[in-house]
Amino acid sequence: MSIAHSQNLNVLLQEIEGIQLTFHNPRRLRADIAAEALPALLALLRGRASYVHLSAISCVDWIDDNQFELVYHLWSYETSVLISAHIRVPRDPGIYLSVFDIYTPAAFFERDIHEMFGLYFEGSPDMSKFILTEWNGPPPMRKDFDSEKWVMETFSWQQYHPDWLQELEQQGGGIVSTPESIRAGNRPMENKS
Amino acid sequence: MKKSDLDKVKIKQIPAQKRTNPFANVFDEFVGFCRSRSMFMLHYCTGCGAIELPPAMTSRFDMERLGIQPMVSPRQADILLITGYVSIKTLKRVILTYEQMAAPKYVIGICSCTVNGGMYWQSYATAKKLDEYFPVDLYIAGCMPRPEAVIEGLQQLMQKIKANEANSWKQYYKNYDYFLGNQQHLFGNNWQTPTDVIGEAETYQLAGPNTLGEHTKILQSVQTPLKPLEMKL
Repeated sequence: MSIAHSQNLNVLLQEIEGIQLTFHNPRRLRADIAAEALPALLALLRGRASYVHLSAISCVDWIDDNQFELVYHLWSYETSVLISAHIRVPRDPGIYLSVFDIYTPAAFFERDIHEMFGLYFEGSPDMSKFILTEWNGPPPMRKDFDSEKWVMETFSWQQYHPDWLQELEQQGGGIVSTPESIRAGNRPMENKS
Repeated sequence: MKKSDLDKVKIKQIPAQKRTNPFANVFDEFVGFCRSRSMFMLHYCTGCGAIELPPAMTSRFDMERLGIQPMVSPRQADILLITGYVSIKTLKRVILTYEQMAAPKYVIGICSCTVNGGMYWQSYATAKKLDEYFPVDLYIAGCMPRPEAVIEGLQQLMQKIKANEANSWKQYYKNYDYFLGNQQHLFGNNWQTPTDVIGEAETYQLAGPNTLGEHTKILQSVQTPLKPLEMKL
């Protein structure tokens, strides 16, 4: 990206109030803005700065801050620059605006995020089940959903103790770290409490 | 039904019984030999284990010299080969496929994931033990098993068929209540397949004391009869 373009972009984006711009490198721009200003930013980038491609919307569950972080990845084919617009929305009640009217592909990303995180997008054309059609539990990608606990309650364990492992154990070898010992130390949910 | 109740049900393996008539024995052995030498395999490639099948099938290891060929449709297939993890959504389709296959049918689970979920044990979306939902003849463990192991497993299956011991498909009819219970545990009580397994079991005289039970009662209460497809030109 040319220096002139980055300056242009800087000037253009200053129209949005409270925007924080960080250039990771000349072709990678991070923009942190308030959730209310995001549709204005996207309309600006799409209408006046050639960012026609919304390549993804990703969601992060910051359970300690009680917030969801939404990241809108925008790509410009003309300048080959990727802008990621970061917003935070409160986890409860978990409702945000759809950007379907600005970027049509957003419908799929929003439907996916609604399924995985339970974040509802107002104005999105379809918020019904997408991939997890057989799933009736809580949204599985939320941090407060304990997948392993659910598995332990739903499925039964099949013991696997083959002959070669028994031979190894007789010679003093065997499994160094069991799944249980790994779980106890490495699970962030348990460390907190 | 809780998981703990389902665990108590154990499936008895019935040993192969030879018939008393010596001519019938010869006939049975001949049939077993013929079956074991000409098998069509439907490979349900769900996971990474599928990548080991092309070398096993093609010239390097050449499955066809054992008389095993890939088949495209379940109704003509003898072996259902499930390669890798089975998600709950896939499992529904696998069960539909399995029930469509004509008996005698054999199921092989390849990779650790079909044994107990493998590295997907903590996953909310993956079904763990395949033989809880339908009978499995043979597991080939490994992550992933090499083509030699696949060939070895298929040869073991051939030996079992030759000795008339690969009768796991009869278990599905004899213990339908158990398998259906596990299926309902995952899919909910509204679960039903287009195949009338109970009717098949009665027709082929394979119904046993465990064919019907509390789970089949639930099935019969929610089951809607199948209607013929509308023909239109």
